[in-house]
Amino acid sequence: MDELKIADKTFSSRLLVGTGKFASNAAMVQAIAASGSQVVTVALRRVDIENENDNLLSAIDRSKYLLLPNTSGARDAAEAVRLARLARAASGIHWVKLEVTPDPYYLLPDGEETLKAATSLVKEGFVVLPYMNADPILAKKLQDAGCATVMPLASPIGSNQGLKMRSSIAIIIEQATVPVVVDAGLGAPSHAAEAMEMGADAVLVNTAIAAAANPTAMATAFKLAVEAGRMAYRSGLAAQSAAASASSPLTGFLRNT
Amino acid sequence: MAIGLNINGTVKTFDAAACPATLAELLVQMKIDQATVVAEIDGVIVPRDAFATARLADGMILELVRFVPGG
Repeated sequence: MDELKIADKTFSSRLLVGTGKFASNAAMVQAIAASGSQVVTVALRRVDIENENDNLLSAIDRSKYLLLPNTSGARDAAEAVRLARLARAASGIHWVKLEVTPDPYYLLPDGEETLKAATSLVKEGFVVLPYMNADPILAKKLQDAGCATVMPLASPIGSNQGLKMRSSIAIIIEQATVPVVVDAGLGAPSHAAEAMEMGADAVLVNTAIAAAANPTAMATAFKLAVEAGRMAYRSGLAAQSAAASASSPLTGFLRNT
Repeated sequence: MAIGLNINGTVKTFDAAACPATLAELLVQMKIDQATVVAEIDGVIVPRDAFATARLADGMILELVRFVPGG
């Protein structure tokens, strides 16, 4: 079986999905089911003390899905560590998608603070999956700090621009000894397939599914794309060349010269 | 005497007689489902099984958080 192994868990699906931006909890539940994903991300926010709060946890069947809390909203390592600890207290699980994004416009991760937070969270026993710039040196540092994966961004969060960081991600894939999960910016199933064909171990998708006109069908499309990309990677892609290479015989033409 | 609690950045004032004595009582009064909330009092996480014994006092800073959809 071609399973994805992260820390001490194995997964048959290589598509991780986010729960944000869906029109309703029902739409989210349906799309997640269609995606075949076994890992779903969630965020942590203040309870609205004036209004009734939707209960996300009751919508997600935790016997089917591993809840992966993120530290979104954290602007530095201290805020991320605080959120991770709260998430652990809330969920009882010690997995965390580490995000430190001080810049609200591009939401690019702060590598220095991410490494700092990762180092202390690993020491506290967390399984840390860090969202990061597609920087191969930083990937190595995060891996050496004990992170369970590295999660380079394809392009800015929610931008749907696809694999803008392709060449750097290729280096990370070549060098990593932990699973590489391409996270953020994958806007179409073809982008996800491309990442998988390159040898990424998994991809994480949220906006492209949640903001689609038909999120459930789009989740299925991503599921198939991830499977296709993985199968292509394992099948060994044929080499590219600058010139044409005929697929039909170059002999026996119906002419004499 | 009035008791003030800073809850999620907003100060709420209670009459001493009507003020919930514990975090669990506060959550009941605020109609917040205890099973889905996680709390900090003065920066220290309160485990869910300690909600009923976490006593509230004037000037405390509470953070009540929960999971929401996110990527």
